[in-house]
Amino acid sequence: MSTSRREFLRTTAVGGVALTALRVPIFALNAPPEAATRFAPNQWVRIDPSGKVTLVVARSEMGQGVRTSLAMILADELGADWKAVAIEQASPSAEYADMNTGGSDSVDSGWKPLRTAGAAAREMLVEAAARGWGVPASECRAEGGAVVHPASKKRAAFGALVAVAAGLPVPKEPRIKPREEFTLIGTRVPRIDGPDIVTGRAVYGLDTRIPGMLFAAVARCSVAGGKLVRFDPAAATAVPGVVRVVAIEDGVAVLARNTHAALKGRDALRVEWNEGANARLTTAELHRRLDDASSRPGRVSRRVGDAAAALAGSASRLTATYRDAFQAHASVEPGNSIARFENGRCEIWSPTQNPQRVQREAAKLLALPPEKVTVHVTLLGGGFGRRLAADYAVEAAEVAKAAGAGVPVQVVWSRADDFQRDFLHPPSRVDCAAGLDAKGGLLAWTHRETTFHLSMFGPFSDEADDPDVDPWGGYDNPYAAPALTVEHLTIESPVRTGAWRSVFYPPNTFARESFLDELAHATQRDPLELRLALLPPGTSFPWVTRAVSRDRLRAVVELAAGKAGWGSPVPKRGGRRVGRGLACNAYHGRTVIAQVAEVSVGSAGDVAVHRVVTAGDCGQVVNRAGLEGQIESGVLWGLTYALKSEVTFAGGRVEQTTYTDFPVMRLAETPEIEIHAIDSDRPPSGLGEQPVPCVAPAVANAIFAATGKRVRRVPIRPADLV
Amino acid sequence: MSGYALTVNGRRRTVESPDPDLPLLWVLRDLLGLTGTKYGCGVGICGACTVHVDGKAMRSCQVPVSSLAGHAVTTIEGLSKDGAHPCQRAWLEEDVAQCGYCQPGMIMTCAAFFGGAGAPGSRPTQEGIEAALSEHVCRCGTYGRMRKAVARLVGAPGIVR
Repeated sequence: MSTSRREFLRTTAVGGVALTALRVPIFALNAPPEAATRFAPNQWVRIDPSGKVTLVVARSEMGQGVRTSLAMILADELGADWKAVAIEQASPSAEYADMNTGGSDSVDSGWKPLRTAGAAAREMLVEAAARGWGVPASECRAEGGAVVHPASKKRAAFGALVAVAAGLPVPKEPRIKPREEFTLIGTRVPRIDGPDIVTGRAVYGLDTRIPGMLFAAVARCSVAGGKLVRFDPAAATAVPGVVRVVAIEDGVAVLARNTHAALKGRDALRVEWNEGANARLTTAELHRRLDDASSRPGRVSRRVGDAAAALAGSASRLTATYRDAFQAHASVEPGNSIARFENGRCEIWSPTQNPQRVQREAAKLLALPPEKVTVHVTLLGGGFGRRLAADYAVEAAEVAKAAGAGVPVQVVWSRADDFQRDFLHPPSRVDCAAGLDAKGGLLAWTHRETTFHLSMFGPFSDEADDPDVDPWGGYDNPYAAPALTVEHLTIESPVRTGAWRSVFYPPNTFARESFLDELAHATQRDPLELRLALLPPGTSFPWVTRAVSRDRLRAVVELAAGKAGWGSPVPKRGGRRVGRGLACNAYHGRTVIAQVAEVSVGSAGDVAVHRVVTAGDCGQVVNRAGLEGQIESGVLWGLTYALKSEVTFAGGRVEQTTYTDFPVMRLAETPEIEIHAIDSDRPPSGLGEQPVPCVAPAVANAIFAATGKRVRRVPIRPADLV
Repeated sequence: MSGYALTVNGRRRTVESPDPDLPLLWVLRDLLGLTGTKYGCGVGICGACTVHVDGKAMRSCQVPVSSLAGHAVTTIEGLSKDGAHPCQRAWLEEDVAQCGYCQPGMIMTCAAFFGGAGAPGSRPTQEGIEAALSEHVCRCGTYGRMRKAVARLVGAPGIVR
């Protein structure tokens, strides 16, 4: 951002000048011409004399729609004309405290500061117009990119007010619009990048082009922890188009004039690796480690009453063990970044969810102060948690340094690289037990998760579990069991693991919601009726320090069940067995979701999902189109997890290399997705990950309703159902 | 280094490639700067790199540069002037894209049903287009809206190839 009123104020304040008295004259005299003609009251809003409104988005766009939704929040408060708004993607700097795009947190955490920023800009523009017209500011309002004074029918476009507004003090506590005044928030606004996307103009990491750039592919040991012993570059350098081969830490980079030559050269390299301790690792061994650890004591994160005693004294007991699998992110844009290293500075272009981490880690690797590393955030061709790691961006910096000063290098991962170097969702084993009285009433519930630590966030430590919240989906079991113990144990992962859309919710929600279904069937109760009985009206359950109203969860459960026709006959699908299943979840005690899946199962055990009804309450809806998109997307993600994909290991290596051995949902298999959102005036609470966790248990419960077969492992295979 | 003549988006281009097998995908992206055609898998499975060769949808990662003499290549950039193709408009009207990375390939596959090669006058069907789009991967799961965009197209009067 260029020199602005805000920067001027800061500089002046440091100089100790009495701001209030001198503000306008000093600004007018001393400011560079550019600043005088541009209104930039804070790091989020900039208005040119032409009326062009530039809104800065500091979170990464990976399909969740933040460049639209965050800009809508700013634009609504500002009173901007949406059609005249341009988006600028922020780069890390002191102005943007947290750019980490994860945890479905962008709208939630942006809600207050962005409204305040937009409102402050609006008040300054209104004040500027009111002064010019000699009317009270309270009689004016901002709308459609102009300030209007209805009494006199005067109107001034924002652009015409820029010079005066830039000289006004920035209000610290501007008036935030009440809900009734929203013009954009809560409406349906198409993705702002849509026109660029459909014409091929949208620039993702891989599409970034810097003059003189080379393309690089990097050979790495495909066994986690493997080390480079020696390599022979001869065959690689013989590949037409290959320019050079350079060694980096535990890898070899092949630089070429085009991507194909780089990849071909890399494949031609002769490299000797020391595969290390993980060379014999298999999927079975990894699951065995979980099983072995499942009997070790974990950390108890929630205790209601004495579940052990209640279980011991119960008339009957029900136990079940649920498992899920390693999962890849499999974003269609593979890992890539461009870096250029020159004169003690590094510039990086990266599809990253965490540019500040890229800046920090690249600076460390290059032994530079962080401010010498500039990170440009491109569009992301999918993210899903994978791009919270800085690895491929730092790799580009390392290769660029090895390539020599001033040569921009784009590191490109092949599809196979992207699978093999992913930070995978790790499998969990979840053991559930319930004690029942003689009439089938619930006395006690225990939930124990055993899983691997997430190496994306650092090395393993015994303190890795957070006793306040782990395990997600277990700790926040919403059901009113008279006695409940939730326990968690994390063990060290020998392979790369990380955040994956909704992180630890999927296995724990799959277990909890399947187990509730099992309890219902074991006690001859309807799964909807039992859920509602265990979510008593007017009560709450804890999430850290927050009490979460069960009424909110009841509301979405009843809404989803009602819309799905719960209790009515399931539509027939030829000779296939049909069923309906229900699941619900409260994500971090805020966004609540309930889903009903309608499935059919063929004689070969093949599962088709025909309809998924979602009811949700994510607080104030910012973009209705975005809400629906995230639910549609989350349902598909959940179905891939439930029915399709799995990463396996052999010889310490990820076996999957592309979308045939890691199948994901396709259009032909897509169910009818029906969405019902509760109109809420609570603050927004996120929706990127929230629709995912209920999908697998809703499908598994529907399969049980259809076939009487209980599946306790995802992905569900046809062989499980014959 | 050999020169290869090809026609891309109506323009005759000559590219110098050291490798006759260089896939069209990388000719477009790395030699001609047409980055709207995406790399997703490199083995013809995901569909992100789909372009038209003589009006037919092809996976550009599977087409060697040496095979293109005398053939006309159309990429997403050349599909229309400023997004005016009915498929692009339908995509925008249904707000199909999420991350958007796979969408140019999807649009090119869909667009080949309209105005591409094939029996003139035959009307593309919802089923036919959906079957072709099912050969593509969208990890964001935008398929539901894509169906609606296709429904707009097959229902729209005047869009008969």
